[in-house]
Amino acid sequence: MKRIITIFSVLLCTLSFSFAQRIVKGSVKDANGDILIGANILVKGTTIGAISDLDGNYELSVPANATTLVASYTGYNSKEIELGTSDMIDIVLAAGQLLDEIVVVGYGTQIKSRLTGNIASIKTEEIEGMPLVSVDQAIQGKAAGVFVNAGSGKLGQAVTVRVRGNSSISANSQPLYVIDGVPVTTGDFGNYGGETNTLADINYNDVESIQVLKDASAGAIYGARAANGVVLITTKRGKAGKTSINFNLQTGNSEATKRVGFLNASEFESFYRYAAGAADRIDGVDPKDPGSSTSTLFGSGGILDYYSYGTYGTANAVDNDWQEGVFRSAPQMQGDLQISGGSDKTKYFISGQFLDVEGTIIGNSLKRVTGRINLDHQANDWLSFGVQMSLGRTDNIRLPDDNAFSNPLQSVALTPFTPFTDPETGLPAGTPPGDVNIPLYYNPVISLNYGKFKAISNRTLANVYGQVDFTKNLKFRTEFGSDVLNQNEEGYFGSQTVRNQTRAARGIGSNFGTFVTNYNTNNYLAYNKTSGAHTFDATLGMGYQQSQTLTNYIEAFGFASDSYKKLASAATKSDGSSTETNFRFVSYFTRANYSFKDRYLLGVSARIDGSSRFGTNSRYGQFPAVSAGWVVSEEGFMKKIPALSFLKIRGSYGLTGNSEVGNFPQLGLAQGDAGYVGVPGQRPAQLANPDLKWETTTQADIGIDFGLLKNRISGELDYYDKVTTDLLLEVNVPGTSGFTRQFRNVGKLTNKGFEVVINTNNLVGDFKWNTSLNWATNQNKVVDIQGQVIEGGIRNMNRVAEGQPIGVFFTREYAGVDPANGNALFYKNTKSSDGTLSRETVTNNAYNSTERVVVGNPNPKFIGGITNTFSYKGVDLSIFLNGVYGNDINFYGVGQYSSANGIYEDNQTKDQLNAWRPDNTNTNVPEARFYIANGSQPSSRYILDGSYLRLRNVSLGYNLPKSLLRQMRLEKGRVYVSGTNLATWTKYAGWDPEVNSDTFTSNFAQGNDFYTPPTPRTILFGINVGL
Amino acid sequence: MKKSYLFLLAIIAIFGFSSCDKNLNVIPTQSIEQDASLQTSRDIEAYLIGCYDGIQNSETYAGAFQYTSELLGHTQNGEVRFAGTFANLLELISKTTTTINSTAEVQWLRAYNVINRCNTVIANISKVDEAKRARVEAEALFLRGSLYFDLARLYGKSWGDGDNNANPAVPLILTPTTVISDESSLPRASVGAVYTQAINDLTKASTALPASNSVYATSGAANAMLARLYLQQGDYAKARTAADAVIAGGRYRLVTPFSAAFNTRLYNGGANPAEYIFAVQVNDQDGTSSMNTFFSTAFSAIPGTAGRGDIRILAAHKATYDANDDRGKFFIKPSAASTQEFTNKFIDRFGNVVVARLAEMYLIRAECNFRLNGVVGDTPLNDINRLRTRANATPLTEAQLTLDAILKERRTELAFEGFRLHDIKRTRGNVGALPWNDNKLVLPVPQREIDVNKKLSQNPGY
Repeated sequence: MKRIITIFSVLLCTLSFSFAQRIVKGSVKDANGDILIGANILVKGTTIGAISDLDGNYELSVPANATTLVASYTGYNSKEIELGTSDMIDIVLAAGQLLDEIVVVGYGTQIKSRLTGNIASIKTEEIEGMPLVSVDQAIQGKAAGVFVNAGSGKLGQAVTVRVRGNSSISANSQPLYVIDGVPVTTGDFGNYGGETNTLADINYNDVESIQVLKDASAGAIYGARAANGVVLITTKRGKAGKTSINFNLQTGNSEATKRVGFLNASEFESFYRYAAGAADRIDGVDPKDPGSSTSTLFGSGGILDYYSYGTYGTANAVDNDWQEGVFRSAPQMQGDLQISGGSDKTKYFISGQFLDVEGTIIGNSLKRVTGRINLDHQANDWLSFGVQMSLGRTDNIRLPDDNAFSNPLQSVALTPFTPFTDPETGLPAGTPPGDVNIPLYYNPVISLNYGKFKAISNRTLANVYGQVDFTKNLKFRTEFGSDVLNQNEEGYFGSQTVRNQTRAARGIGSNFGTFVTNYNTNNYLAYNKTSGAHTFDATLGMGYQQSQTLTNYIEAFGFASDSYKKLASAATKSDGSSTETNFRFVSYFTRANYSFKDRYLLGVSARIDGSSRFGTNSRYGQFPAVSAGWVVSEEGFMKKIPALSFLKIRGSYGLTGNSEVGNFPQLGLAQGDAGYVGVPGQRPAQLANPDLKWETTTQADIGIDFGLLKNRISGELDYYDKVTTDLLLEVNVPGTSGFTRQFRNVGKLTNKGFEVVINTNNLVGDFKWNTSLNWATNQNKVVDIQGQVIEGGIRNMNRVAEGQPIGVFFTREYAGVDPANGNALFYKNTKSSDGTLSRETVTNNAYNSTERVVVGNPNPKFIGGITNTFSYKGVDLSIFLNGVYGNDINFYGVGQYSSANGIYEDNQTKDQLNAWRPDNTNTNVPEARFYIANGSQPSSRYILDGSYLRLRNVSLGYNLPKSLLRQMRLEKGRVYVSGTNLATWTKYAGWDPEVNSDTFTSNFAQGNDFYTPPTPRTILFGINVGL
Repeated sequence: MKKSYLFLLAIIAIFGFSSCDKNLNVIPTQSIEQDASLQTSRDIEAYLIGCYDGIQNSETYAGAFQYTSELLGHTQNGEVRFAGTFANLLELISKTTTTINSTAEVQWLRAYNVINRCNTVIANISKVDEAKRARVEAEALFLRGSLYFDLARLYGKSWGDGDNNANPAVPLILTPTTVISDESSLPRASVGAVYTQAINDLTKASTALPASNSVYATSGAANAMLARLYLQQGDYAKARTAADAVIAGGRYRLVTPFSAAFNTRLYNGGANPAEYIFAVQVNDQDGTSSMNTFFSTAFSAIPGTAGRGDIRILAAHKATYDANDDRGKFFIKPSAASTQEFTNKFIDRFGNVVVARLAEMYLIRAECNFRLNGVVGDTPLNDINRLRTRANATPLTEAQLTLDAILKERRTELAFEGFRLHDIKRTRGNVGALPWNDNKLVLPVPQREIDVNKKLSQNPGY
């Protein structure tokens, strides 16, 4: 009966639509009187609507019985307008309140003011125009407590991201990345040079927002993989309304941020004359003796004579700065086309991007083409579905790792007397048929001229969803996503590179295929209900993920000529392999939030995760979290304080896990790689640990969110305390067992810190000035590793030690120079009976008698970022700085050769000119002695302060006035200029304090520099046109 | 109505996935689960091959055992100079070995890794086809016994230096490891116990192994290792018996000229010369001769040569050879003008690394006969002169044949093949100023082992 009435009334309404209508029109403007184009005006309760046009006007046929219009516009508060008798209705929309923004959380969204967890949000518009290759770089300096280090200026390489400190030693500490609900494939799949970054396959201009889930209450719904934080990336969606076509083109140039000063030819000569003389004095050799160091270096047929092709000491002698030969002004170009729009029922976002970046170091480039389509369709009042799909191809010509002689930046060590080109052949020094043993070390240019290593990856991210609204309050959502990564890597090194690739006498090539298929499904029910003062929402569901990685590889050598570069032409197929590995997760999750009067907030969440990575005895882990909040400003007694517009106190406590230890760590394994001259064989490869499970991080967080002066000042303050136990530690076992290490759950470490976020609207009106600041501290401490000795980094100088932050620099302590003789001094630091350390000093010959001590910490004490944006009429300016304070960098990778008192023939950094001499005794640089170690041993001398403040980005834009745009029939017209890494303030003596060498870095061994190319400084010009 | 069905479907979608649990049991296919690798006879035979693969690693019989003996047995700038940059090797020759010396560490780890492989074969021997069972087990026993013998003499005091049954050598582990528990931390067994174990393994192997077995262990190999072990113990009668068994077996013969006994890839197509009783096989795809790595360098005139050129031969060494002796000329320079000189024994990058060759058996039989005043097999003079004649050296006369002459012949014939330290120890000689039983001539127990196994004691002097 009820249904019949419903049908009848619908019919009635339809009838009345067709008979009684009137036209309502007007304009839509913002509070400043600027017109709003594309605003949505809807007759409430119907699908009848219109969109404001280029002049901000709308026109709408309104049924006679309609009473209310609803106007909405992105970033503005929706407004309901009562229909009166007038047919002219001008609508003014107010800009949306900051604290009412919607935040993406795991499996849903939440209103920020009701949030009880800690989530950092980044809108990509904040970083528009920055020359970022991968989306993880966008977080740098923008999210409190998230430390990002690009590591180097090499394109497409891994970026270190640490959310609230490093909470693991042997397992990976990178956060989990989830794009549109799919945990995507991350990690290193490269076979040449440093670790690759699979996020570089994704067009970050497709990203609408990035949320970093930092505390347990936000993260626990991602269970066993949330301990390192979760980065939720949401791509752009279409909006109902006029089709928007946006084209952006930006082009510019990059330069390395810094050169390090090295000796020029005359400095080199005088420095080494002294060094050789000092060596002869110590050896008791007459410098005129043909066997003396002086003669070896400077004599006829000596080192300089040889490496300069005989030009040393002649009029043809050169003075080359090898550094200039490896850096270049690198052009880049990026074009973006984005089309979005749709109706109330169907919305779409379509985009394409072309990116072409050259590296600031020779031989490095990255090209990427991506396309995306996001579709959402409302089939009827209870069913909706959609698809997100992106395709991309990335061509990355890669550089060798930092520790390869073919690393271009290593050529700074070459003598300035060596000409760039061999005078006989006119080819780069060291190229056959010339003498391949010139220069001092392999000339990296040869590898670039006659070799290449290129990685091509094809990436498809596809995700479909369906959503059923059972009632207004209860919906079911099902998602199925796939992430397919196909990568081909091809390397070829011609016969000319033989000094570097010993088997390349007739050319050598290799080819790697990598196929990663990652499927994921999420199915969950979501319920929400508001009843009077009570608001309740709940989510319950499951997820399943399976990932498979297949690889194959072939190597071959012996090519008829250097023109043949494909392995089909190789005479000997010398090596080949194929591998497979898998992991799977089954998860169940739930969350419930309750709020009373929008004032008292309570949240609980939990996840159960099962994984193929863990032992049969501990396959499922449980990760619960609780949180609560109190919106104090809603209390009557607080409303008396008019300056306080918002105040919320919140706290959370819960468990998250980390399971990033590779696959099958729990199984006893045999490996079939133990053949003997052609006969197949196998061997025991790994011990079983059926009890192996995840690391567990227990995190407590308390914080306040506040808004002052009508939210013109708003912010968040947080304190967190993370305790990670059952570390997935690769522990040493007795070697007599036949094994050396095993993954076990032992040990404990902690991270605690403060976070501050402050956003202010300093000036409003025509001239606007906003400031956004974030600042965070982190204190890391390794509490217990059961006495394991865990070392890594350059010369094993990084150490994990109980009672210390993870990965501290542990080496001998340098005590300066003995003014009497120029000897390097080291503190003994031996422990005396009363427990104090001996501050007695010894010199080189007793170096081994000194004890190693903690001399530095690669983890920053605090990090921060500040962005100021100004706008006046159509001009906008944004100035973004970020900084890192209190971390140390190990420069020994470079220093052991290049700041080493002339121990080898390597060119030296300019600071070595201050070496001790009889007339320069008050110095910290020991006397230069050729082939005699004097202070060049590992010590605190090379542990340098890595703090920096960087002018990360300045961008200045001009939006064409709307009147002009109307004449040009454009929606948007903007020109801008953007400068990135324009200035860096640091005491660090190396190229770049934002460094993590790709060779010596591990999860805990951070802050190593090994001739690592610096990040680029980039100036871009851009134009953005919207139709 | 429809919606209620959908709701049911949703519930099934969420909770019906409990069947996913079985999906969490992913079967690895690249590395396989250990149980799956221990099923058939073929599986166990593949493990046996894995044992040979284990010693093919440069850290045991493919070089490290040999060069450790040579570096510890020589003094820096005496007969040789170590001119390389590896601190671990420099420490050995300059007798400044530290407990973190990586040679001392990797030899220990690798030896036990291979022992675990051998133990896996031995523990699963019942799965091997009956026809092959005895041989397969014997090959594993040969390798295990040899490794324990070499571990005992590198990490324990010399045989006879005090009480063999009190001096600690290395832990004895005779079963494969499947879990790590407190029982995995074993104390060091005595020198006597480890030698006894090695004798048992090698004796069993010598009777069960065939006389001919491709490039794998043979009864000759087991007897050769036994002869060497008994000689180290000063048990000359048993050493003589074992050496004579190898010679009398007639499988091996001295090759002529002397140079034909070396550099198998360059000069013998990669095959063992007839003189080799047992050698680690190396080819261009598999194996590394670290004797080549450290004793040789690349000679541009000879393709296929390589090496770091670290261990250089000095005039004092060359002066120890008799005139006309081919072995005294078996050295090589990169160029005529070069001041660097290397032994010619290991210039082949892909040469097999000899572990035992027939010449050693003649030397053992000669020495034992001489010491015991016997003539088992042949006279000492004949045995010694066989080697001298092959090398075009003047044969010794009966009057010239002394124990010193026999030991000198041994040094001449077997120079740089890994005998130096052990011969000095058993003959109670000196390394420079250090007496044969100096603490510095015993390797330290690796610090990493001491750190993880509290039951291990460190050697005196470290």
